[in-house]
Amino acid sequence: MSDSAWVDGFFWLFSVGAVASGWRVFKTASMVRASFLLLASVAAGAAVMLLLAAEYLGMALLFMMAVEMTVMALFMVAFMMNPAGLNPMRMVHQKTLAAVAGWVAFLGLAAVGVFGDLPDRPLVDAATALEDLGVELLGPSMLVFESAAVTLLAPMIGAVVLSSSRGRFGPADHGSAPPDADGEADERQTDDRRPR
Amino acid sequence: MSAVAPWVAVPAVGGALVAGVYATGVLDALAGRRRAGRPLAVGDALSLPWRRACLLLVQRGVSTERPDASAWMLAPALYGAMAAAALTVVPLSEGRVVADLRTGIVVWGAAEMLAMVGVYLHGWSPNSAFPLLGAYRFVAQAVSFELLSMFVLIAAALPARSLQVTRIVESQESLWNVLRQPLGLPLFVVVTLGVAFWGPLNLPDGDDLAGGTGAELSGPARLAWEGSRAAWLVAASAMGAAAFLGGWLGPWLPGPLWMVLKTLALLTVTVWLGHRAARVRPERFVVSAWTVLLPLAFLDLVVAGVQALP
Repeated sequence: MSDSAWVDGFFWLFSVGAVASGWRVFKTASMVRASFLLLASVAAGAAVMLLLAAEYLGMALLFMMAVEMTVMALFMVAFMMNPAGLNPMRMVHQKTLAAVAGWVAFLGLAAVGVFGDLPDRPLVDAATALEDLGVELLGPSMLVFESAAVTLLAPMIGAVVLSSSRGRFGPADHGSAPPDADGEADERQTDDRRPR
Repeated sequence: MSAVAPWVAVPAVGGALVAGVYATGVLDALAGRRRAGRPLAVGDALSLPWRRACLLLVQRGVSTERPDASAWMLAPALYGAMAAAALTVVPLSEGRVVADLRTGIVVWGAAEMLAMVGVYLHGWSPNSAFPLLGAYRFVAQAVSFELLSMFVLIAAALPARSLQVTRIVESQESLWNVLRQPLGLPLFVVVTLGVAFWGPLNLPDGDDLAGGTGAELSGPARLAWEGSRAAWLVAASAMGAAAFLGGWLGPWLPGPLWMVLKTLALLTVTVWLGHRAARVRPERFVVSAWTVLLPLAFLDLVVAGVQALP
């Protein structure tokens, strides 16, 4: 078997894998499973990028998405009151809007693929591609990437501030009481028993 | 970029990991019994990992109530496979490397982060309280040491002007990075202990959590999990040897032997620390990682950057 046959075989394997795990995201009943199925889908996409000789971008995608999906799973479980993500819950809502948005995105991308003027020059040397990417990121496109970075950083800091128990005005659970055996908050315990 | 055939690469990486994991078991037995004041004869220590592996293999595996069985079974495989993937970019000697990628340390970082997914799923999937707490602890721990890992490796890559691990080794011809960037290796030892959650950084599987993510483990699954942890200790020690101790460089002895000796030296240090240093509390580790160790990693990067200026 020649090298290109291997590459074609793996391309189809990872493409089908990306679509299949993407579909399973909406079929599972657990936030944690949904997050890691999405990670599997993105990882298959990253593998396709590696096959396309986008060595750095493929690896960086794996690198970032592993952290991102884990943190996403944790935050979703933390904010959605779904203990450990093991309680079943539906992954689909706003079906009409989602279907319309999905078809528009699919048709748009398909139109780009079919009618677009795609370059057909084979990549000669992956080393220069890596260097070109670095020069582009730290040169002409620096402002775009830095703006995106700061835009992403702001909500991250916001999420940490919202979920941190230590706030500017003292502990977040100040004045709150643990529920008793019936699930009702005990009125007698609402006074502050914790030292600041 | 040279390519190694799969039928060479798989036995090479697998063999190195199995040998390394066995060496970790022997060193751990020796150091642990010595620490306990009842030193073990070397002959007994040599057979101890083998006997323990046999015991676990014939032990019956138990299950929990409604676990996510596939994730529970696949989590050690993911965690261990990432140790193997990380080891592929580390050269044994000049020209002897499985994947001599230009993005070597990015591959390393990606493997480290996917290992975190493995540990989290391992704690989440048994549907049990202590493993779940361990899983959450490890995410906090991993997010804290991951930046350290990347900064010290980027600092090691600066003098080489390349992310390729073989080039990083070659750049240490005149002076090893351990002397050029004195903060790099100590911080990477923290990362090594963290990624294998060994000794002082055994927060997810600690005794205070009744075994944490491994609390419900028995039989072959425990063998796979403990083996994978030791595999990460080996892979990280090999990376530390390549990035900071000059890899295969050294006088008199052949290159591969130097690499093995340096890896074993780092492995001994981490196993020894595992028995000597007290386990830290998760909060204390996370706070000190972000407020003390991360600034030190920045300093390491500044030192490397100033030296790299023309």
